[in-house]
Amino acid sequence: MRVKHLYALLGLLILPLVSWAQDDLLAELDAIAPPPPKAYVYATFKGTRVINQQSVELPAAGVGQFVIGHRFGALNDQPLYNLFGLDVAQIRFEYSYSPVKWLNVGAGRSSGSKTYDGFAKVRFTRQSSGSGFNWPVTTAYYTNATMVTTPFSDGFDHYFTDRMAYTHQFLVARKFNEAFSFQIAPTLVHFNLVEKATDKNDRLGIAFGGRYKLTQRMALTGEYMLRADRGAWENDPYANALSIGVDIETGGHVFQFHLTNARSMADPQWMMQTPGQWGKGDIFLGFNITRVFTHVAPEL
Amino acid sequence: MKKTLFLSIALLATLSASAQKLISRDTYVHFFSETPVEDIEASLKDGVGLINTANNEFVFQVTIQSFTFEKALMQEHFNENYMESTKYPKGLFKGAIKGEVNFAKPGTYAVKLEGTMTIHGKDRGMTVPATISVTKEGLVNLESTFIVKPGDHDIEIPSLVVTKIAKEIEVKVKSTLRAS
Repeated sequence: MRVKHLYALLGLLILPLVSWAQDDLLAELDAIAPPPPKAYVYATFKGTRVINQQSVELPAAGVGQFVIGHRFGALNDQPLYNLFGLDVAQIRFEYSYSPVKWLNVGAGRSSGSKTYDGFAKVRFTRQSSGSGFNWPVTTAYYTNATMVTTPFSDGFDHYFTDRMAYTHQFLVARKFNEAFSFQIAPTLVHFNLVEKATDKNDRLGIAFGGRYKLTQRMALTGEYMLRADRGAWENDPYANALSIGVDIETGGHVFQFHLTNARSMADPQWMMQTPGQWGKGDIFLGFNITRVFTHVAPEL
Repeated sequence: MKKTLFLSIALLATLSASAQKLISRDTYVHFFSETPVEDIEASLKDGVGLINTANNEFVFQVTIQSFTFEKALMQEHFNENYMESTKYPKGLFKGAIKGEVNFAKPGTYAVKLEGTMTIHGKDRGMTVPATISVTKEGLVNLESTFIVKPGDHDIEIPSLVVTKIAKEIEVKVKSTLRAS
């Protein structure tokens, strides 16, 4: 009996000793370290736009973003006389701000049709990895209201609201790996006023966008707006917008250079009213320059 | 009587075993890169540390994505372009404390931490100075400031931003460890 007790006592005394001796501090650290926090995917796209199309990216909370967009003249419009379109350009300015990490609001002005716009982007889900439930995609809602301010030339009296058009998009994107990301965006554009009585006010489409990283700081981009009702009425003059480009990142700036058949940068116009056709050489060289400003910085 | 003795000895044995480990789950790590063009700093507050007082071995670990920067875009670039934190999610310093330190006795001890630092998946032997102070309440505060060179860990800095990122980055660690 006594011997038994002694053994038990010895055993208990030795147990902790054994556990020190065989431990690897690192393994123990893994045991006490909190489970890895959910890792959210970052940089699905380099910019808040793929090219013309909005991406699921938002500037971070407390960050404002200034974007200047340029679209030069058509490559096929007296190319030597206009130096491949460089002599003429449309320009867009835009400033947006994210008061919280899931919301971005902003306003812009595009020189095509002298269009003013206000927009908002709300992010719903974020693609993540880690323990527990993980969303496979990042999703967001984007909406934009535009006002065309060029005078009407048809001789009729118009309501102010005739100048307005509204865009709604649901953005779904996935970063498949470090290099490749893809986005699909069902799109509804509502024009308060259309050109012909037979034209529809509500236009549907699906926007596709992708990027492929070539190096740490450079990526190929492409986007396509598939109009659901293209050719649904007679003499539909509008094509589907197709753009290809390159993103170049230099610290605080993102430069996006591209070739596109959509010259206008205002959403309803490039999405549903792109007259240019790649096949005919109606191609425009363009760029977006993005600069961020930190208004509210986190405490370090 | 015998049973009480037996139980108390067993209890003491367990207590002394657990007292061998000092743990921190809220270690603060801050780094600072200073160049004439731009100063860059970032910090985190959720580093994990462990010291085995029986043999003075230590290990500190941080989650790279936890580093918060003043500028959000810098944070994205830090993760995506420099640290590749999806591929290398952790930073690690593991080794042994060299020099005299008595975790049971309140006081301040100047020691050296000698071990292997793993950043960006690349190991590097390091010996860095540290101050350990043991409070009357038995808390152990560890502070260390040292230099990490991005080049030592295969972190590539392109020529475009070479003037903005220092070759030597000052890292400051503040950790309060408690008996587990």
